[in-house]
Amino acid sequence: MSVGASNPEYVNARVRSRRASLFADEDYRKLIRMGPSEIARFMEETEYEREINALGARFSGVDLIEYALNRNLAKHFDDLLDWSEGRLYDLVSRYLRKFDVWNLKTIIRGIYTETDSEAIQTDLIRAGELEDGTIDRLLEVDTIEDAVEVLSRTIFYEPLSDALEEFEETGALVPLENALDREFYEHLLEDISRGPGHEPQEGPEAKFVEFLQAEIDFRNARNALRLARSGADLDPATYYIEGGVLFDRADLNRLVADYDELVDHIEENKRYGDRLSGALGRLRDADSLIQFEHALDAALLEYSDTLSSIYPASVSAVLSYILAKEREVENIRAIARGREVGLDESEIEEELVIL
Amino acid sequence: MTLGPELADVVLQNGATLENFTDSGAAALAVGLAALAAGYAERGIGAAAVGAIAEDDDMFVPGLIMTVLPETLVILALVVVFVV
Repeated sequence: MSVGASNPEYVNARVRSRRASLFADEDYRKLIRMGPSEIARFMEETEYEREINALGARFSGVDLIEYALNRNLAKHFDDLLDWSEGRLYDLVSRYLRKFDVWNLKTIIRGIYTETDSEAIQTDLIRAGELEDGTIDRLLEVDTIEDAVEVLSRTIFYEPLSDALEEFEETGALVPLENALDREFYEHLLEDISRGPGHEPQEGPEAKFVEFLQAEIDFRNARNALRLARSGADLDPATYYIEGGVLFDRADLNRLVADYDELVDHIEENKRYGDRLSGALGRLRDADSLIQFEHALDAALLEYSDTLSSIYPASVSAVLSYILAKEREVENIRAIARGREVGLDESEIEEELVIL
Repeated sequence: MTLGPELADVVLQNGATLENFTDSGAAALAVGLAALAAGYAERGIGAAAVGAIAEDDDMFVPGLIMTVLPETLVILALVVVFVV
């Protein structure tokens, strides 16, 4: 918990300016028709200039684009943490912890598969709260036990050491990864909301909670749909994340068995039903899960935009920027990867999340 | 108009007078409070303006103008000084 006054006005002004310089729809339309090296060229003329120049000598093609995107993302999100103070810092940093989770997962997987640390390093997005020193030390260790030990002063230590036993029994990484995800989501709502039914009713924090609940709900919905679709014999409860309003644990167990009922359940929810009705309809007809996941992403983005205009000087604008920036990075990556494997323009367009 | 002593009477209720609290004293208080309010308003605007300027130098002039807008509060309050 950091002390001192928070400075939403300052952070908001900067964030909104950066938000405005994100790629627009026309830029995507241009990018779709380019090859990887042309995309890199195009990016060099935009705000990715510094990253492309710094990495241009070492990488080329799609790798260059990908690493430049990651580095640029990390730079911007680090800036956010730099600027914000007090309460705002708390709220932003707990959301950006998802990059810590991502990095830890990548490192653990790297250790597990005995990848060398150079290769792991390029895949990290150093945007979270963990210090660079900690991450560097993590890259040097050889076993997962040691890695957990390095994290001993962070919030991830306890859940990871609990999950470590299960990992040693089964040899699968799933318990460790679930522990990380769970830790992240459960800290999100900490000290804002006192459990379901006791959320703040109005003001910026109420909207913050609403947005995070939407994110948790969508995450749960996505997991549930994937489980229902794959028909894998996994216990849905292990994937359940608490804090949402769409499902409770019992719902999830019941609904995973019946795909149609699951879709009905999402549609009947009054908070999301209308917003997602188009996508749900398509989900029923076309059976395309990817399309639906993109619709969820777009809905979340739109949702965060709405929230950010309700309380202009609050954390919402920062969140909506974080989401928009992530979408941009994912879109550019999808275009570059899509071009690389030779998808045609309409196929790539389906992969993009554009409002 | 001798609002000052009357005001003091109302504040103190029991009839104890505040001899030195004259009209000009009340006017000064009004201007002071208005200046304080303007300062508080400028706090947020200034922070936002500096943020905007940091991203884009062209925002300097608009930022400056926006920042000093609440000064009108003080100017309006200053009218009181000439009225009393």
